[in-house]
Amino acid sequence: MNEELELKLQAWVDGELSSAEAERMAALASEQLEAGQLTAELREAKMAMIGADIPRSVPESREFYWSKIERQIQLETRPAPVSKPGLMTRWRRFLMPLAGLAAASCVAVFTLTQSKPVTNDEFTSTDEAMDTTTFHDQSSGLTVVWLQDNDTARPSSVSLEQSDDAIVTD
Amino acid sequence: MQLTRRFSLFYLMFLAACPAWASDLTVQAQLVWGANDSQNASYAPVDSGLSAKLHRIYKWNNYFEITNEVRSIPVNESRDFKMSDRCVLKVKNLGDSRIEVSCIGQGKEVSKGSHTLAPAKWLVLGGNAKNDTAWFVGLKAVDPSLAKRQ
Repeated sequence: MNEELELKLQAWVDGELSSAEAERMAALASEQLEAGQLTAELREAKMAMIGADIPRSVPESREFYWSKIERQIQLETRPAPVSKPGLMTRWRRFLMPLAGLAAASCVAVFTLTQSKPVTNDEFTSTDEAMDTTTFHDQSSGLTVVWLQDNDTARPSSVSLEQSDDAIVTD
Repeated sequence: MQLTRRFSLFYLMFLAACPAWASDLTVQAQLVWGANDSQNASYAPVDSGLSAKLHRIYKWNNYFEITNEVRSIPVNESRDFKMSDRCVLKVKNLGDSRIEVSCIGQGKEVSKGSHTLAPAKWLVLGGNAKNDTAWFVGLKAVDPSLAKRQ
């Protein structure tokens, strides 16, 4: 007896076959000794199993059990609530671009200051008897304003005179 | 997060302090005597930097330092640099490295002009003096720490 036939006999004993199939299996069990023995064993086993299952009950009521599942599903499908940003976060959002702008402004001002051409020297007033000559020595980074006293007869307006007699002009 | 916050605060403080640094100008003024006579032991030779620049342009063999003053000048304020008993320079900080220099000799304003005092550049006022000598006043923007030392 092959395995397929054994499984069909088990299905027959469990009442899972159609009436035509059940009749064929009943005929087989009565005709073949081996099939009959297997059928008897299966029926004994089935009888032994009846009442052997331990009853299992859910500690919660059916409605409460399913409401828990429903709440969990709703919790997972609900979009996460957007937390309200704190005071520091709002300030930082405001200050960060401002700080960037200030830094860029500093760099711009610094660059413009460095690249600014040297403005001309301007004399707003000079003594009537004094001539001024200005010249720039770019290579040595020197600007000289030479004050020439036209009136050689009068004492020099600018004197180096110190307590030491060695440095006295005119 | 905490580090970012501290850095932001420090950076803002730095930005706030920037204009204060930019406003003050520390100026060094040196009265220099140019002469061919090298026998004036009472005066020290002027520092090599200014001396070399003057040597490139003028004929005198020796340049002696008579006075040397360093002063810090806040923006839109002026300071007097007493170069000798008869010569005072009134220097006003116009801001943006611009200065107004009034040269006062024997109580009288000899000249007044506005100049740019660029970093590491010298502005020199000069004129002839007795016995084929010359006077020079060298002005330079210097580090503020030099003003504190004086």
